Amino acid sequence: MIKTYALRIWKYTRSLQLTIILLALLMCLVLFCTLAQVEMGTQGAVNAYMRSFIVWRQPLLMSLPFPGGALVGLLLTINLTGRTLELQRTWAKAGMWLVHSGLVILFAGEFVAGMMQVDTNLSIEVGQTVNYVQSYKNMELAVIDVTDPTWDEVYSVPDNLLAKGGTVAIPGTPLSLNVKRYFANAQLTTLAPGAPPSLATAGVGTGVSVVEQPVVSADNEMNQASAFVEPVAGGRSYGVWLTSVALGAPQSFTHEGRTYLLSMRLLRQYLPYAFTLKQFRHDVYPGTSIPKNFSSLVQVMNPSRNESREVLIYMNQPLRYEGKTFYQASFGKNDTLSVLSVVENPGWLLPYVSCVLVSLGLLVHFAIVLRRSLKRRQDQKEG
Amino acid sequence: MGIGLAALATGCRPDQVSHYRVPKEAVASHPDHPGHAEEGMGSQAMPPSANADPGMPPPPTPKGAIKWSLPKGWSEAAGGGTMRFATFKAPYAGKLEATVVVLPGPAGGELANVNRWRGQIGLPAMDEASLAKSRAVLKTKAGALNVYDFTSEGQAKSRLVAGYISTPDGNTWFLKMTGDADPVGKAKPDFMTILGSVRLD
Repeated sequence: MIKTYALRIWKYTRSLQLTIILLALLMCLVLFCTLAQVEMGTQGAVNAYMRSFIVWRQPLLMSLPFPGGALVGLLLTINLTGRTLELQRTWAKAGMWLVHSGLVILFAGEFVAGMMQVDTNLSIEVGQTVNYVQSYKNMELAVIDVTDPTWDEVYSVPDNLLAKGGTVAIPGTPLSLNVKRYFANAQLTTLAPGAPPSLATAGVGTGVSVVEQPVVSADNEMNQASAFVEPVAGGRSYGVWLTSVALGAPQSFTHEGRTYLLSMRLLRQYLPYAFTLKQFRHDVYPGTSIPKNFSSLVQVMNPSRNESREVLIYMNQPLRYEGKTFYQASFGKNDTLSVLSVVENPGWLLPYVSCVLVSLGLLVHFAIVLRRSLKRRQDQKEG
Repeated sequence: MGIGLAALATGCRPDQVSHYRVPKEAVASHPDHPGHAEEGMGSQAMPPSANADPGMPPPPTPKGAIKWSLPKGWSEAAGGGTMRFATFKAPYAGKLEATVVVLPGPAGGELANVNRWRGQIGLPAMDEASLAKSRAVLKTKAGALNVYDFTSEGQAKSRLVAGYISTPDGNTWFLKMTGDADPVGKAKPDFMTILGSVRLD
C-alpha cells in the first residue's frame, strides 16, 4: 500500500505536469518579487520571495502563504533529476543528458549562491587606503582598543548578537558589555526639556532621546541601529552608553590604561590586503551629461604576496581577487568617491559550466538528430 | 533575478564576537580618538539626520581665539583631529596627550562635560555640589579658568587634567591633558603653567 503511494508520488514528482506547474509558480514569483522590490528593496524582496521556502505575511499577497523560490527550486531540481534519470543511457540521448546535467548544475549554482554568497561594498575616496569591505545592511558594535600607537584591536559585536541582549563578553579583553536595549532602527532626537531621562548615563547619549522605528529594507534607506550598552570591566561599570549609527563620532572610555572606542557602524570584514584609489573617472559623451564610462584606478597592496600593482576597474570589467569580485557600482562626493560592489560567491563558476554544458548538449543533440534525419532521407532514396 | 533555489541561511553572518588587529586608520576616520574626544556635549548631542554625512561637523572657527605660552621642551601643532584647535607635544615619555578644543556656546555645560571626562576613565558622574568641590579656579588674563584633575581607580591608573574657560565671544575652550597617571603627574606642573598663561588674542 505504502509502496504504491510512494511510487505514485515519485511518478508525479518527475512528471511534465509538475514541471509546468512549477515553472508557472516561478513566473508568478518573479513577478511578485519584482513588484515587491519597490517597497522592500532588491535584497529584501529576494530574501522574502526567492530565498525562502514559504512566502509569509506579504501585503502584496494579502498575507496568504505562497510557495517560495527555495521550495519551487528544490522541487524543480528533483523533478529535473527524475526526468534525467528516465533518459535512456544511450549515445543517441547524449545531448539530452548534457542539457539536463547543465540545468541541474545551474540550479545547484543558485543553491550555492543563496547559501554562501556574501554581498558587500567598498567605499573609497581618491587618495584613501581602505582594507575592509562593509555590509549593505548588517551592523556591528565595534569595540576598538586604540591604545597601541600602530595597531587597533577591533572587537566586532554583530547586530544579531546585540539583538539577543544580555551580557556579551569581549574575548581577549577584561571587558564585557551588558546590552540594555537594542533597536534595529531608531530615530534619535535631542532630549526635550521635561522628557523622561535617557537610559544612558555616560557619553553623548545622556542628552538624546531614542524612539524605535520599523525596520526598513528599501535600497535607498538605512536602518539607524542603536543600542544602550554598559561596559563592565574588573567589576566596575563604565556607565550606560548610547551607541548608534546616527551618532557621527565614536565615544571612548579608558580602563586600566587602555582606551576603548565604542562605534556602531555597518558590519566590516577586514581584508589581508588594501586598496588605494588613485583616480576615479566619470566620462560623459561630449556635449551631454550622459555617462559614458565610470572607472576606478586602484593600487592593490598585498604584503603577504609582496604585491603592489595598479588595476583599472570599470563597467563590466571587474577585478577578481582572492575569491572576491570587485565591480564598479557607484560614485559620489563630486566624483571623488568610488563605490565598488564586492561579491564573494564560491559557486560563481557553476553558471558558466552550466551554459557550456547546455550549449554543448544542444549542439550534440542537433547533430544526432540531423544525422538521423539525413540517414532516414538516404534510406528513403535507396528504398 | 535567477531561480530562487534554497537559502536557509542569510549569507555568512557571524553570530559571535570577531577580533581583528588592523593598522590605524587616518585620523579623519576616527575623529573621536582618545584625546580627539574633546568635543563638548552640545555639538555631538544633535544626531545628524539619516541622510546626513556621518562625519563630524567641521570645527568652529573662533573669532576671539585665546593664546598661551609653552614651557621649555613643549611644542605645539595646529589641529590634529576634526574638532581640535591645537595639539601639544610634551617632553615626557609614556602615554600622554594634550589638546585644545574650542566649541561655540556652552557646549552642553560644564557639569556634562566634566562627567563625560570622568566616564571616560571609569569614574562615576558627579553632581553640581561635588563639581564645585573638585574645581580649582585659576585666574588668567582671559578670565577665570576652571581646572579639574581626576585619576581613575584600578591598577593601571589613567589621569586627566583639564582646563575649562568661556571667552567673551561665547565660545568654550577645553585644554585637556590625558594619559597614564605617571606621565600626566610629571607633566602637570608644566601644563598648569600653560593654563596660567592663557590670554585673549
